[in-house]
Amino acid sequence: MILTRLTLVAGLLAATTAYAHETSGQHGGRVTDAGKFHVELVAKGDTVDVFVSDEGQKPVPAAGFKGTAILVVDGKPARVSLEPADGNRLTGKAAMALGASPKGAVQLTGPDGATASGKFN
Amino acid sequence: MPIRLAAAFGAVALLAAVLAGPVRAHEGHDHGAAPPPVSKTIAPRGEALSDAFELVAIPRDGTLTLFLDRFRSNEPVPGATIEVETPDGPKVATATADGGYALPAPWLSKPGRHELVATVTAGDAVDVLTLAVTVPDPKVSAAATAKPAPAKAALARVSKVAHGVTDRLSAKDPTLVAAVAVAFLLGVLVTALARGRRAAPVLAVVAIGITLVLGTAAFAHGDEDHGAPVQGAALIEPRAPGSSDLAQRLPDGSVFVPKPTQRLLVLRTTMTEQGSFHRSVELPGRIIPDPNASGVVQSSVGGRLSPPPSGLFPRLGTKVRKGDVLATVTPPVQAIDVSDMRQRQGELDQQIAIVERRVERFKRLAISGAVARTQLDDAQAELDGLHDRRAALDKIRQQPETLVSPVDGVVAQATAVAGQMAAPGAMVFQIVDPNRLWVEALSFDALTAAQDATARLADGRTLRLAYQGTGLADRNQAIPVQFAVQGDATGLRVGQFMTVLAGTDTEQSGLALPRAAVVRAGNGQDVVYEHTTAERFEARPVRVEPLDGGRVLVAEGIGPGKRVVTQGAELLDQVR
Repeated sequence: MILTRLTLVAGLLAATTAYAHETSGQHGGRVTDAGKFHVELVAKGDTVDVFVSDEGQKPVPAAGFKGTAILVVDGKPARVSLEPADGNRLTGKAAMALGASPKGAVQLTGPDGATASGKFN
Repeated sequence: MPIRLAAAFGAVALLAAVLAGPVRAHEGHDHGAAPPPVSKTIAPRGEALSDAFELVAIPRDGTLTLFLDRFRSNEPVPGATIEVETPDGPKVATATADGGYALPAPWLSKPGRHELVATVTAGDAVDVLTLAVTVPDPKVSAAATAKPAPAKAALARVSKVAHGVTDRLSAKDPTLVAAVAVAFLLGVLVTALARGRRAAPVLAVVAIGITLVLGTAAFAHGDEDHGAPVQGAALIEPRAPGSSDLAQRLPDGSVFVPKPTQRLLVLRTTMTEQGSFHRSVELPGRIIPDPNASGVVQSSVGGRLSPPPSGLFPRLGTKVRKGDVLATVTPPVQAIDVSDMRQRQGELDQQIAIVERRVERFKRLAISGAVARTQLDDAQAELDGLHDRRAALDKIRQQPETLVSPVDGVVAQATAVAGQMAAPGAMVFQIVDPNRLWVEALSFDALTAAQDATARLADGRTLRLAYQGTGLADRNQAIPVQFAVQGDATGLRVGQFMTVLAGTDTEQSGLALPRAAVVRAGNGQDVVYEHTTAERFEARPVRVEPLDGGRVLVAEGIGPGKRVVTQGAELLDQVR
């Protein structure tokens, strides 16, 4: 019963608060949904950091995750492989310097092999 | 039950939220709830939208088929590079014959939710799109149907077995027949063995059990086969669900059209934009020739028509230039005139003879000085005058009137027949310049000048019109308004009827859409089809008002920023 109420509230919230998307995250990056996770993308210079958390914004250990970030820089897609680093952070290096907030997408492969992807505009 | 009601309401709200597009709040929302498949007969698919593109992915038989279209116009994008992130690294999809892109994807056969990232490069546009494909687990879906209650589950299972057997029977599955036969034989054998040995009654019971179960399963539908005549359709193996996608109208009234069908129907969309337009009025009009570029050829005297020196009358459609002789008219000479002329002729001839002799005499005498020089000159002048009159009398009998073309153009009307008697003032030819036509419309209110108009022909063609002038004299309780046809006027004929849409000063705001975007629904309502998701179209009842020849103004029913089908809406309306 509580669950159904929650679903109802969640549905109504989701329906009304349209485009409450891409909020800024704890690490100063952009946050978006990727499957059942929230992903925060921080691009600084040629380094791409991705922070993974669950829907309650609680950090999820990055160990076991693999990831790929595809970011559009100057009209060309740049593919960055992400490896788990400390905590909930995955990191990777791009071949070129990335802009302030490049658009693109992040794909994560969890320890169970399930894929999740999030889009950044 | 209130709880169930709340749950249903919740589900509907959630579904609405999911379908509404990229609507994601960040706290307290449900992740991973994929939108349910639109229909059981449609293969699982994923779609992604961006400002430029619309991508649909369909996993089927270990292949991922991708369809890429322009977001705004729904035009297919050929020659694009689509790179999909796979577990084995990025792979590029190859273009297929039907305008899609294919990628071998054995990793997609695993049931569950797969999230893909596709990098699309088309020309200088680059986009990264994320799409989720949920491959259903056949076992899970079967178990889900049998969940509600144990009794129900058992019933469902039995009906499922019976259904399966019916299917297999209808498919004349040899394994089923073989299984029944083998079980029966096994039973006989085991019974015989048990009798002989008496040591294995359990085995016998098991064997009988198997026989009974399989036997009843086989007989459960026996009466169907005997009762009903076998029809051809029953023998066709039913298609596996999801093996083919058909355009269909979904229970909620929206139309599902798979991408390949969209390509066939050449569905194109446009983005609606709010604008301010002059209100226009529809006027009945017809084509008239430009008064400065057309003319009539009339005979001023009554007479017999004869062809021009070339020997041929100009035919309909012949191009003529200004000054060309189109025909000649020979006025007939009446009998009384003839006798009159004969008389005058005789008199003139007589006078000429007298004056000639006098001139001869005077010439001889003038040398000797017996006659004054002036007398000779007078006589000479008189003779010349008489000769002139005589010549004019001859000429008037044979000089016909030439009919010349007053303007450059084409012969639009010709009534000339050799030998025909033309009445004075009768029109023999009409010359029209086909590139310079006007439209005369009847307006019931005075149109303000300088508002350009458009005209719509019966075949759907439109013409641009430039305002020329308005008459003040009343005609049929209306005033004539004249417009000049701008641009290409081929195929038009003088007198053709058309609808003129002339702008007025009052402005109105709304969305301008091509006329073809609006279709008449079965209940008589005007609807437009909105492209809601990649493969879904929803009918939106609208109120339309005339705008110009090619467009209508949608005053209400749909807002700006929506994708509306502008081409193929009629075909979309036929999908049942």
